[in-house]
Order: sequence, then C-alpha cells, then structure tokens
Amino acid sequence: MNPRVGSPDLIPPDVRARLRGLHLFARGNAGGDGLGQHASRSRGAGLEFAQYRAYEPGDEPRRIDWKLYARSDRYFVREAERDSPLTAWLIIDATASMRQADIARPDVSKLDAAKAIAACAIELALRQGDRFGLIALGGSTQLLVPAGAGPRQRDRCLLELARINAAGSWPGIASQRPLRERIARDALVVFLSDFFDDAAVELAELLALARREVLTVQILAGDERDFPFSGGQRFLDPESGIERRVDANAVRQDFLERFGAARANLARDFTARGIRHVEHVLGEPSDAPLQRFFGQRSARA
Amino acid sequence: MSFALLAPLGLAALAALALPILIHLIRRMELRTTEFAALRWISDRVRPRRRIRVERPWLLLLRLALLALLAVLLASPVMTEVALPTQPWALVVPGVDRAAAQAAVTTSGVQWHWLAPGFPTLDNAPSSTAVPVASLLRQLDADLPAAAALTVVVPDQLAGLDGERMQLTHAIDWRVVDGRMPDSAAAPATPIRFSVRYAPAAEPELAYLRAAVAAWNVREPGRYVLDMEAVSAPIADDARWLAWLAPDLSTQASAWIDRGGVALVVNHAASDAEALWRDASGRVLARQQVVGRGRLIGLPGALDPATLPILLDADFPERLQAALQGAPTPPTRAHAGDVRPLHAAATSKASPARSRDSARPLDLWLALLIALLFLVERSVATRTRAQAAA
Repeated sequence: MNPRVGSPDLIPPDVRARLRGLHLFARGNAGGDGLGQHASRSRGAGLEFAQYRAYEPGDEPRRIDWKLYARSDRYFVREAERDSPLTAWLIIDATASMRQADIARPDVSKLDAAKAIAACAIELALRQGDRFGLIALGGSTQLLVPAGAGPRQRDRCLLELARINAAGSWPGIASQRPLRERIARDALVVFLSDFFDDAAVELAELLALARREVLTVQILAGDERDFPFSGGQRFLDPESGIERRVDANAVRQDFLERFGAARANLARDFTARGIRHVEHVLGEPSDAPLQRFFGQRSARA
Repeated sequence: MSFALLAPLGLAALAALALPILIHLIRRMELRTTEFAALRWISDRVRPRRRIRVERPWLLLLRLALLALLAVLLASPVMTEVALPTQPWALVVPGVDRAAAQAAVTTSGVQWHWLAPGFPTLDNAPSSTAVPVASLLRQLDADLPAAAALTVVVPDQLAGLDGERMQLTHAIDWRVVDGRMPDSAAAPATPIRFSVRYAPAAEPELAYLRAAVAAWNVREPGRYVLDMEAVSAPIADDARWLAWLAPDLSTQASAWIDRGGVALVVNHAASDAEALWRDASGRVLARQQVVGRGRLIGLPGALDPATLPILLDADFPERLQAALQGAPTPPTRAHAGDVRPLHAAATSKASPARSRDSARPLDLWLALLIALLFLVERSVATRTRAQAAA
C-alpha cells in the first residue's frame, strides 16, 4: 500500500470523519459547458449518470428526478459526471509572514494551517470527482499544478504542498497575470493567506471581479489576535526585515485596535465584492473554514 | 542582646548592589528577537517613557537582598550580650580590719570581697595574708565588665606590688586605712660559693678574682666562699657562681649552667648576646646570654686589663657582683597613697572586657539564609526565563 504523501499528518482522523458530510459547490451555476439554457430530459450523449444525491436547499429544482420522487416520495437530484465539472483552485500564500507561529506551539505555522485546509479541500474535490489545481505564490515560490482530477492529481498536489516553504514577499502584479488567465471562468477559488500584503488582496478582488467564485480564508496566529506579549520585546518583521524594540504592555491596546480594524475592513471589502470570507486562527480544526463555507447552513445561495 | 558587626568595613561590599540594578536596567542585552508578521500595525508613536522601567522588579529585589546579606556576612555580625549593670564591688586587702573597712566605704549595695585569689566574700577567711595585690587588681580589671564600679580598701603600707605602676581601665575608688601588710619572711643570707676553674696559663688572672671576693666579704663577712681548682676538678653541686678561665667549656660545666648556674667564661665569643659591660667608647666588653635555666657571661678576651679595662676600676667588684647576681627584684612594699592606680583609657577596641562579652556569631544562620535566598533567586530567574521563552 502506498503511503499517502503527507496526508496522515495534514488531515487527522477526526477531521477526516467530519469531512464526509461536506460537499464542495459553487454558489452560482452548478457547472460549465455541460448544462445549457434549456432544460430537457435527454441531456445529450455526453452526459453520464453518476449518482443520485439527496436534494439540498439551493439546488436547482429542475435537476430533481421526478420519477424517483414518485417512487420514493423523497427528493433526489441526478448527478452526472459532467454535470458539475467544477474546477477548484487552491491559492496558497507562501510569503514570509506565513511563517508566523504561536509562541506556545512553534511547530505549527500559518503555512502549515493553510496546507491542512488545502488538503481537506483536495479530499473533498477528489471525492466528488471534481478537478482541482494548486497555486502557491511567495518570494521565490511560483508553483502551479494544473487542474486535474483523480487520485494521482491528489498525490501530485500533496507532494507539491509538502515542498512549499514560506519566504519572501508577494510577487508583483505582472507575474500574476498568467496565473489569473489559468483560472477559468466560474472556477471555485479558495484563497488561503493572511492578507497582510495588499497585492494578495488585490488579486482576490481581481479574480472576483472576473467572475471567479472566490472564497478567502484569512489565517491568523493566536498571538496576532490576542497579543499576549508583555514587558520589553524586540520584534522582527520577516518580510520587510524591520526590527523594533517595543514595550509590549504599552502598545497592546493600540495594536489590538488597529489590527482589529484592519481585519474588519478586509472582511467588509471582500464581502462588498461578493467574496465569501472567513477567518481562521491557529489551533482551530482544519475543516472549520470549509464547514463554514460548505456546511448545511451556508448552502443558501 | 544587641546586634554588632565585628568588621564593619565589610559593608563596603554594599557597593556591589549597583550591579544588579544596572543589569536590570540594561534591557537591550536581554531582549531576544521575536518574529512578528503583524509588525506594521504596531504604532510608531509610543508615548516617550520618562520614568525608568526595571525588568522584573521582584527578581531585582531578590538579587539586591542576596548581595546585601553577603555584605553583612563579610562584616561578621555577632549578637553581643549587653552586660547588665553589675553591682559595685568593694575589695578589702587581707590584713585590714573588717569593721574599719566597712566603715570606710559608705556606698550602699556593694558586694564585699577579699582581695585574695578567688575573691572570696567577707564571710570566708582569706587563704593567706600575703597576696599579690597588683596582680589581683589587674585580673579583676580584665574580668569585670566596663560598667562595674570598684572600691578597694588598702592599708597604709601596701605589699604585694610589682615593679610597674598599676594602670586599670576601671575608675577605682582607693580607700586607705591604717595598717600594714605583714612582712614577708626575709630570706636569710646564705653563703654563696664562687667556684673558679682555671687552666694553668690563666694563673695571673686569679688575683683579680681573689681581690673581688675579698671586697665582697668586707661588706658581708663570710658570705662569699672562693673555691679555686684546676680545670679538671668537678664543680660542686652547691656552687652558685662559676668563673671558667680556660679555653673550652667542659660538658660538665655546660650542664651545670643549664641547670641554673651563673658562669663567667673567658674567650667566649657570642656576637648576638646582650651586651653587659661597655667601655667609655661604647665597645662591648662582656656579653650575657641565657643558657637553659642559667646565665653565661662571656668575655671576648681573657681576664686581664688589656682586654678588660674596667678590671682595674675601683667599682669592679660591685659590677662583678651585680652581674653575677642578676637583675634585682623590684620592691614590693610602698605607701598606699603613692601607688594609687592610674586610670588608663581602653586603648584597643577589642579590649579584653569587650571580647569576653558573650558574642554569639551569626555566621551560620546568615549563611543558611543566603543559601536559601540563592535557591529562590535561581528558581525565580529560570521560571521567568521559561515563561518569556514560552
């Protein structure tokens, strides 16, 4: 039996159990070319029946199989293999700010949390038969795993995930254009970053503007949210290299206000653009953002 | 019980207290860099800190206390017992009438003692009436605490003194009453045997010795017995003085001197001995040294006028007699009013009276306390360091 690369570490058993109830979907149209404007019974030669799935609020009513309903008195939706050719893209921030970890648990950094969430999303996409691809940006890292489906794609993605290291700062706009063109219209984009760089925020907004469905997860360290430091401290910004000696007790209140305001502004801006946004703090389980995006309650369009 | 420091200069070590204060103020050295990605939201405008902030003030206080205790340990702390004010003492020399003594001293509440070895109270009889008064007074001066008052009742004619005037640290009330201390039995004048052992070559020198002895016998008839023999003749046991007029001292003679005899030896060179006779120009004519229990008077040359010019002086017999007799004993009797003790200030801080106060050293307790504080300081320091690292 081939051991899965990195996956036992990235997805602990309890998270894996909870993932079974999750289902990736895009809020807008369910899929791409397979469905047309017209509803018809015979969908065409290319459509293959894959499975029946229980009806969930938010599914289009015309996809309900009425013959099955007549037989079982319960609503079921037909799913074909090409019915939801969803392409999920995972964009991971690999800049130096993602190296931050909590003082209490220095072995789990923000990048590690991003990798775990990405692995969960990949598992979901694999289970659904969807296509998925991986992008990582930061410093010298410009990683692109083209979209594909199947276990081999999953292994390829997990291998590349394990190789990502956090360094440097976000690349310029110019180098991001080819990436933007790779992501097709109506693809699902899960953006895992701390969004300290304005360029990352811009990329997310540009993608949303270009009618890609963008889901952003802002990953923060517990120390950044709470600022538990006290006394004299010397802080180093890993991306800019700036060192500052501060008295932690004196700056705490001001930092919490300013940082909180920055996070609130970010959430507001994203929501205004139609980007679904959640925050993830280190220490929370890896499936929590996906639960919030794709769980039962948030299935509503 | 009062706290005292035997070596207060050790408190100069308190200057080391500045060191932990400096270390706790210089925070640059202690800060370790912490990565913090959200640094840009920490505002630049931090209100300027005017007051001096000290890192970990409790640890600083602990370290200061540790150093202060070390400095006190260096200064040898002791717990001295403050001498309770003792009752004034009144001492009576044995031989003085008790009633007269008690009438002479009018202060009340005194302790009466005989001035005798052991200082018995007046109810007991003193062991003897011939007491070394000066020695006993000095002993009492050393033993009693400084606050005690002393009154001494002495007879008019005081014996038992020594050659030195009494200087005591206590102020003594010297009461003289009539009376006299009994005389010590006068030593009978024993005949002194003066043995001379001469080599045949030294026969001419015998004349001088014969003349000297004859001069002595004029003053004290029949007391000095001359005994002249050849070198080989043994020295009688009862001989008190010896004149050795031969080149080398025989072993029997050396043993005799060791046992306590006084000998005049010619041709004896001893450059480090004490000079006994000098001539007018200061040249040493005879040296004297203590050998065992006896004395040896060495002449560098022979007993003739060429090397010993004083041989022909009229007072040579007296000088020879004085040299052979040794230092005279000091007088022991005097009028009490003339030998009143002088008051001497305590010259040294560590006077005998003070050191005899029971001073319990605190070193052991202080060392234990310092060790305990050190353990506490180490645990606090490593705990805060672990907290800062965590």
